[in-house]
Amino acid sequence: MNAVAPTLWQRNPVLAWREIDGEAVIISPGESVMHELNGTGSFVWELLDGRHTPAQIAALLSAEYEVSSETALRDTESLLQELASLRLILQAGVNAGLAGVPADR
Amino acid sequence: MRDSLAAHATLGRELGWSLDLSIGSTRFQILFPDEGLHRLAAERYRAFEAAEGPAFPIRLLDAREAASASADFSFKWQGATLRCRREDAVFSGVRNEYALDSLLRVLLSWTLLPQKGFLLHAATIVRGGRAFVFTGPSGAGKSTLASLAPEGTVLTDEISLLRQESAEWSAFGTPFWGEFHADGKSVHAKVAGIFQLLQAPHNRVLPMSPADAVRMLLPNVLFFSKDTEASRRLLDLLARLAQSVPCYRFEFRRDASLWEALPA
Repeated sequence: MNAVAPTLWQRNPVLAWREIDGEAVIISPGESVMHELNGTGSFVWELLDGRHTPAQIAALLSAEYEVSSETALRDTESLLQELASLRLILQAGVNAGLAGVPADR
Repeated sequence: MRDSLAAHATLGRELGWSLDLSIGSTRFQILFPDEGLHRLAAERYRAFEAAEGPAFPIRLLDAREAASASADFSFKWQGATLRCRREDAVFSGVRNEYALDSLLRVLLSWTLLPQKGFLLHAATIVRGGRAFVFTGPSGAGKSTLASLAPEGTVLTDEISLLRQESAEWSAFGTPFWGEFHADGKSVHAKVAGIFQLLQAPHNRVLPMSPADAVRMLLPNVLFFSKDTEASRRLLDLLARLAQSVPCYRFEFRRDASLWEALPA
């Protein structure tokens, strides 16, 4: 039996972001860098509240955009990986409250 | 430390080494430690001089004095340091008018935000009483465009100040100039539109969606804070601007024909 709980992700609390016309614009204040997400990316971004599992997010994505659940899961996981590598998202419950983006250059 | 600062400021004022400025309806009183820099600043900012009155104090410290460590916002530029608190700011290590100009821009970008304003890398030209704001990084053509504008219509060729007053957005002149030395006018006008400058062999104006406009504006905003809340405020401000002011991609030719392409 695989009893490992799925990873829950949350948006990094140090980020400033806003959805404009369905597309998320994100600023990392420490690095003064802007990130953009397209429509599906923004849909996923909205769900990164530390409560939805990747599988739940993929299911909602699949229903909203009428793509197969396999494609939705693959796309969700690859997006999560990318967001995590940029420290735009953090694992929920781990390092909570810590500023994840380097503050000084 | 505060007593010594206050005494220093009083001395500067008594000797007349203070300068009252109004830039985009924001009032500053700069207190200088010596006559030399005061004279240079009075010359550079003469179009923005205001009568004495309630103003945000900026104290320039000379080399012997150390700035207080506490600040809500601080910034360093080539050996000069800005420390800003809610009620005042201290500049230290300022040895010439360029350092003063830089710190003043940074300070203004900080004090404007709560007043729903910001500085943008943009030239502003007034046509028919309305402000046409042309934005882009260095080399995009701001100075070229300003040099092609009819005499007396350039508010700035380098850094524009945009501010929301009630529901309307206004562009203000600033004393921060680039290559084209306009007279840096202390006047303002309602914003007709914001145009992203792109040099081309033709003239063409293409409307932009609010989301594209925010993405286009962000890299051109003068913004130095690393604070999350300030960044959120800026995003909110830009989103409101993009929803109420038309924004365009402006492909333009480097000659006077560009004016004919602009929307009325």
